[in-house]
Amino acid sequence: MTALPVISARRRRTDLFARGVFAALTLVAIVPLVLIIYYILDKGLGAISWHFLSTDPTGNFLGDPGGVKSAILGTLEIVLIATALAVPIGIGVALYLVEFGRGTVLGGVVRYFVDVLTGVPSIVFGLFIYTGLVVTHTLGSFAGWKGAVALALLMLPVVTRSAEVVLILVPDSLREAALALGAPRWRVVARVVLPSALTGLITGGLLAVARAAGETAPLIFTMGSTLPTNFDPFKQMNSLPVQIFNDVGQAQDRLVTRAWGAALTLVAMILILTLIARTLARRSRLT
Amino acid sequence: MEAHVATPGGAPSIFEGAPGARAADRVFRSVLTALALGILALIVFFFVFLVVKANPALSRFGIFGFTFNNDWDVSRSTYGAWPLLVGTLITSGIALIIGVPVAIATALYINELCPRRLRGPLTVLVELLAAVPSVVYGLWGFLVLVPKLKGAQQSLADTFGFLPFVGGHVAGPSYFIAGLILAIMILPIVSAISREVMSTVPADHKEAALALGATRWEMIRTAVLPYSRSGVVGGAMLGLGRAIGETIAVTLVVGNAPQIGKSLFDQGYTLAAVIVNEFGEAATDRLHTGALIAAGLVLFVLTLLVNAAARALVSRAERRQRATGGAVPAGAAAAARVGA
Amino acid sequence: MKIRVTLGLAAAALSLFAAACGSSSSSSSTSTGGGGTSGGATLNGAGSTLAAPVYQQWASKLKDQGVNLNYAAVGSGAGVAQFTAGTVSFAASDPPLKPAEQAKLTKGKAVHIPTVLGAITASYNLAGVKSGLKLDGPTLAAIFLGKITKWNAPEIAKLNPGVTLPSSGITVIHRSDSSGTTAGFTSFLAASSPQWASQVGTDKTVKWPTGTGAKGNAGVAAAVKQNSGAIGYVEQAFALQNNFTYAAVKNKSGNYVSPTIPSTSAAVTGVKVPADLKFKATDTKAAQGYPIVSQTFVIVYRDLCKGGLSQSQASAIVKFLNYGLGDGQSVAQQLSYAPLPAPLLAKAKAAVGKLTCNGQPVSG
Repeated sequence: MTALPVISARRRRTDLFARGVFAALTLVAIVPLVLIIYYILDKGLGAISWHFLSTDPTGNFLGDPGGVKSAILGTLEIVLIATALAVPIGIGVALYLVEFGRGTVLGGVVRYFVDVLTGVPSIVFGLFIYTGLVVTHTLGSFAGWKGAVALALLMLPVVTRSAEVVLILVPDSLREAALALGAPRWRVVARVVLPSALTGLITGGLLAVARAAGETAPLIFTMGSTLPTNFDPFKQMNSLPVQIFNDVGQAQDRLVTRAWGAALTLVAMILILTLIARTLARRSRLT
Repeated sequence: MEAHVATPGGAPSIFEGAPGARAADRVFRSVLTALALGILALIVFFFVFLVVKANPALSRFGIFGFTFNNDWDVSRSTYGAWPLLVGTLITSGIALIIGVPVAIATALYINELCPRRLRGPLTVLVELLAAVPSVVYGLWGFLVLVPKLKGAQQSLADTFGFLPFVGGHVAGPSYFIAGLILAIMILPIVSAISREVMSTVPADHKEAALALGATRWEMIRTAVLPYSRSGVVGGAMLGLGRAIGETIAVTLVVGNAPQIGKSLFDQGYTLAAVIVNEFGEAATDRLHTGALIAAGLVLFVLTLLVNAAARALVSRAERRQRATGGAVPAGAAAAARVGA
Repeated sequence: MKIRVTLGLAAAALSLFAAACGSSSSSSSTSTGGGGTSGGATLNGAGSTLAAPVYQQWASKLKDQGVNLNYAAVGSGAGVAQFTAGTVSFAASDPPLKPAEQAKLTKGKAVHIPTVLGAITASYNLAGVKSGLKLDGPTLAAIFLGKITKWNAPEIAKLNPGVTLPSSGITVIHRSDSSGTTAGFTSFLAASSPQWASQVGTDKTVKWPTGTGAKGNAGVAAAVKQNSGAIGYVEQAFALQNNFTYAAVKNKSGNYVSPTIPSTSAAVTGVKVPADLKFKATDTKAAQGYPIVSQTFVIVYRDLCKGGLSQSQASAIVKFLNYGLGDGQSVAQQLSYAPLPAPLLAKAKAAVGKLTCNGQPVSG
């Protein structure tokens, strides 16, 4: 300790003060999460029951308001379709950027436009699909698949960016070794690059799914809302976020309680996905 | 992580099929390039499409008139987006003022000050805020924050009533509450990017400061902050971009009043909120639909400008880091994690 | 391998979550049939939130008869827009269509079927003040213009001698969507205040000079409930459902009348109903009538099938309307809507009888 230079009391006080402020503000940053989780659990847990999970909303003004079955199933189906659309395309674009686009003009432009897509507010995607597909009655009016397309547009840049990050991490020496042995490019990608980056790709996909599952704005524009369970993506479908949005704007306590219960369900689904993604991410160096 | 380049057992080796390989490769390459071009085409189409659909409103009022006319009156078919634009700017401005200092402090605390054991859990806690859906923030804001903070808002308005744009009767929903919720929503993004950028500060700089006898705070002030400034500003602007486009949470707490409020504690409207509230009834009215799409276009352009600036700043930080040997673009991973 | 482990963990976590949910079960577990279609036709209706409770209640009674109604309470304006765009089977609108709106209906002639009458209450959230605060049109207009901002303002106190009014500020709650309830309420305000008529006017959406916007009757009710000192206009069913206190409003004859089923019915006695049934019930001349009463219509194409419906949908809609104008009237009354007076009911039934499918009469 004697080797350390002497620090004046004033400087020490300033240092302590600054540290205190940072620690306090960090605490402040955590307060909202704690509060939100507290309220969702406090008000939502009471709402959740087997009846809540296994019945559709009834829409009755009096009596039993029903549960959120159609909303849960709708959200699952829509997100699944959106993932099936966004993940392959997103990874494909990332592959282009990493394998062929490095240093090229087109690569730069595409990367820039993917960034642009990331910044587009989700409501603008909703508006786009609404005017492009809903108003024009393309394969149905409000329909589940249109909601899925809107979500896919939202997921696409997230998937691409995270995929690019992990694909770049695959050492070039691996690629070169395989190429030098005479393997064609596509095989190098399919057998070497993609498998090495697999965990990271899954992480990116999961994060995109978590992001999309909670989106509301693009869905109200595109798939409408309906009460009964419906698996046909060419018709209107229900979803958790839209159900919550509709129930918040209700004065009746039972509907508001259902909103809290649905919020708890949705947050639990997303948190589980996010935590899985983070656990995987730690292994894929995406942290 | 190790890739099995040579597969000793069972699976066919990667060398076979050499004759057709060139053709296959060409197909592979063109498919990927087509995908990439497809993205470009999509975005261009997206923009052109919105402009065409917004045209009835834009040609009627003019781009300038539409954007800056302070009159949004559906019953008289007059659409001037100024009150909405102002609302969007005020709420996201409040979000920045509240959110960014907290986010930067959090990033500094986690990176430079906190015990190593706390680093991981704290990061997760802060970034989990990004996993809470917008509608849940709205639910919480509408049912909890608005009623609980009404008294606090009123006393703030009374105490600081001497300031311009503060004071008056507080109804509950307001620019301020919307800004507060947005501040919470952008916190994880700004914090994650800042942390990522700050962690690129070379250890030598920090150690040099400490070796010269600097306290931790002095080290932060002299080594960390100057080095990471542009990246942190970029992170804040990414947060701004997010706040501008946020819809559902805002529409539930901002009050949806189609004129510019006299005070920060008054009700107002934002571009995104008006779109979500009015699109349904506008369906068959080309002018109204056009006006809403034009509002979306204004939103789009606004986020585009903000994001372009943000990316430029963050990538400047990245380039410097790459010069010092980093492999992954700073911020990119963080951005992917919090969906920025 | 790692992935398989993680997926396993995820599955375990999910099942844990599901188990936790199951164990906290508290309410009864009576199944409501899961909304499965029983071979009947599905109708999509959209519009009026004022009448939404009635239609939803009618629909729940008709489920066993093979009519599945999916009613979206999106507001009269959005209902008409969706009907015009052909995305729903019928529109529900409180105000009748304007000529310009009617002109956009390209698939045939639209028919207005009146269904019930609703009283639009001026509900307030004011601790210590009971239902029956006396308000007249000019005072209500001044409140919604933002000219009266305190509950104990002299204008309000003058009308309510003996009532202790708090000094709290008034929070105005209005609709943010295009709404028939707004049309009814603003037409009353415009009739009683020249300034309202010139500055704001009467429509499904107006440019509100003050206040907080909320979506639907339910949204306004929720906002009134959340904010002490708030006043908003909602249909009586929403006010009663939430135990709101609401004003007695001065009518044209100078009487302060509370919204009740009799005072709502009284409001339409003597109202002239034109042949196309497009009547308006606001601002009655009847001495005991409540002045802010709204009519509400189901709007369909006279030739349902040329309007885009299938034969079975056409018959389902006729079944729905016949039920509503028959037994449904008393169901509506339980929700405190006023039934249509007998002469009007007869005209409405006759209009339903004239609906066709490709020129053929439809049996309900």
